[in-house]
Amino acid sequence: MRIIPIISIIFFVLVTLTGCLGKEEISDLALVTAVGIDKGEQENILITAQIARPAEARGDAGAGGGTGEPMWTAIAEGKTIFEAIRNLARFSSRRVYWGHNMVIVISEEIAEDGIVDVIDFFTRNNELRMRTWILVTEEKARDLIPVKTGIEVLPGESIDHLFRYSPIVAEAPKSDAMSLSMGYLREYTHPYLALVNLKSRGIAEGEDMPEFGNLPQAELSGTALFRDDKMVGKLKDRESRGFLWFIGEVETAIIPIEFPEGDGNASIELRDNSFQLTPKYENGEVSFDITLETVADLVELGVPTGKSYDELFTLLEPILEDYIQEDIEMLLNKLQQEYQLDSIGLATYFRAKFPQYWDDVKDDWDELFPDMAIVVNVSAEITNPQLFRLPTKPVKE
Amino acid sequence: MSTQIRTQISNSILLAIVINIVYAKAIGVTQGAIARQVGADMWIVTILSILFALLMMWVVVIIIKRTPEKNILEQSKVLFGAWGEKIFSALFFLFFLGAYGGVMITIVYHLMDYFLPDVPTAIFIIATTGVGLYGLSKGIEVIGRFAVLGLFSISILNILILFGSLDNFHVHHFFPVMQNNLWSNLQATSHHNSDWAMAILMVAILLPMVKQKEKWNKYTQKSVLIGGGLILMWPLLQVGTLSPEVTGQYIISCMQMARSAEIGLFVHRYELIMIVFFSISALVQVMSCLICASISAKHVVGAKNINKLYIPTALLLGGFGYWIVDDHMRAMHYLEDYWPILSMSIIIGITVLVLLFGTIFKRKLVQRKGK
Repeated sequence: MRIIPIISIIFFVLVTLTGCLGKEEISDLALVTAVGIDKGEQENILITAQIARPAEARGDAGAGGGTGEPMWTAIAEGKTIFEAIRNLARFSSRRVYWGHNMVIVISEEIAEDGIVDVIDFFTRNNELRMRTWILVTEEKARDLIPVKTGIEVLPGESIDHLFRYSPIVAEAPKSDAMSLSMGYLREYTHPYLALVNLKSRGIAEGEDMPEFGNLPQAELSGTALFRDDKMVGKLKDRESRGFLWFIGEVETAIIPIEFPEGDGNASIELRDNSFQLTPKYENGEVSFDITLETVADLVELGVPTGKSYDELFTLLEPILEDYIQEDIEMLLNKLQQEYQLDSIGLATYFRAKFPQYWDDVKDDWDELFPDMAIVVNVSAEITNPQLFRLPTKPVKE
Repeated sequence: MSTQIRTQISNSILLAIVINIVYAKAIGVTQGAIARQVGADMWIVTILSILFALLMMWVVVIIIKRTPEKNILEQSKVLFGAWGEKIFSALFFLFFLGAYGGVMITIVYHLMDYFLPDVPTAIFIIATTGVGLYGLSKGIEVIGRFAVLGLFSISILNILILFGSLDNFHVHHFFPVMQNNLWSNLQATSHHNSDWAMAILMVAILLPMVKQKEKWNKYTQKSVLIGGGLILMWPLLQVGTLSPEVTGQYIISCMQMARSAEIGLFVHRYELIMIVFFSISALVQVMSCLICASISAKHVVGAKNINKLYIPTALLLGGFGYWIVDDHMRAMHYLEDYWPILSMSIIIGITVLVLLFGTIFKRKLVQRKGK
């Protein structure tokens, strides 16, 4: 029975020694919160890493005798992403740690050349979260990464919050490492990423004030489309909203519409949406029917009117339907005519419904796609005037 | 017979051990292999494997019920003589040695690839085998109670993963259903069948220790159904959330699920949650393999005292486990190409032989019953 104490001692020693291996002290880590990827010199990869200084980032600038800067931004180059990151270690006083990275921004130049290395590196890296946002920018990523946007202390956190808290805008897909990897790896799908660009939307006091502000801010709007791993096109705001219906990301959206009677506008908020895509295969022809139903609220009416809400809703519903239909048709036109790219995954829907005919069309799908008939039927119902029983109109009229 | 063999456990404890012994490997390593072979049909393959397990478990209970006080190895001695017993026991030992390779792949790659890449492989093997030995020294009753705790952990993990993944669940990933023909799907079942084989052969050894033999069939079937249900949730979520293509890309696909899951802003990155809740199941796998391999070794060498065989068995299994996991490519080739064939040959070969010979030589068994 002496064996049990011996095993216990060995086990105890092993467990306590194992605790010393692979340890990471938080004070030894450089916590990356955002990273930009650009083309460097001689076809190199240029990495811009935004690294948080936790003591300063907590909100009290200068606390604890630090520099007062909540972040440190640095660049490094290499032939591969890994080499560039390794080169970052040449001058970073702490080990670069990716576990808290929130955003990866890829420059358009890199995206057009192909991003398979980005997909591979960041999904293979066990430190990185699969819910890390990945975006494309028309600017240099190194210019965008250090820009302080919104009210957050860390720019990476601001972009993270743009994704999380602005579904109401509905103009860019929520693209993360998971959706990118899935879009690239899956058969018959193509990846997509949200677009982010700098716009002068912020206001700094005491400086000359141009028309739209004087502080550049990161603005999330639009979609970058890829064929396999290469970026081949872009969708603007309304086309992007049309795109979001297909990838199931429209939870809510504000639709501004022109009021048909009188000079003014109204805003409608989409609340409860249903989007159905039905593939058809008749006489060797592939076609699709889209049925979109939405229940919406009237959230703003900028025109004094004597009409009741029942009359108003009857008036506004067809305008709302036309507006949404236009979003989708603008998107389809761009995909079918300009890019000839099935980014909305129609192939997967067709294959799911007609697996028996899939072999007949799969090789010609890219040629068939531009001429496919896609019928869009939108039905909108406005049911809630929000708080008011009567439209805003003075009684004296 | 050893003191362990005389120990009695309840049917519920057996149920908990069966679920734990299958779960840890089946939800990740196995599902990745199935996804690479059949894509979105991986959940159908998992169901087919559960049906296979129900059938084999039923067969094993029939076999053991013929001589309820004898395990399958002791019964083989009655049917095939002393050499038959030794050959069958050697095959059982070979099976649990091979199974230990799969168990080590599951445990070591979870910990090493995702948390401790700098720690030497040997440390993981020594630590887990050491814990397994400790469990072994405490006996099957303690392992069983540990497995009940493991069952709670598994349930919590399943609930957390379910809530963390549903937001990104896409039903259209499942279509078309049956993308492969039935034969292809049946061929792919060998990966998950080999997980169930571990549970079934363990039951063939441990069943005589279980009280209330009239409930054996009910509880073993129940264990397959409950365990199967807990496992089936994973391929369903992996197809719906990750897609079969992403699932198939990773060695440990359940960790990829864990990496992608999140509940709100503050509960995300489930890797550590996953390790915490699945480790009991993984350790029950280790302990069960060690105990079954030790019992098999006892029948091979004809030893009276099983206690002396624990350490040599652990050294052999640990050594093999180390050799397998030390090279990722070797590990995956072994797990995907060789282990399913080896395990299927052993489980089907032995159970069919014992069932057939037991039917033919029924009188022989009846005469020796109780002796």
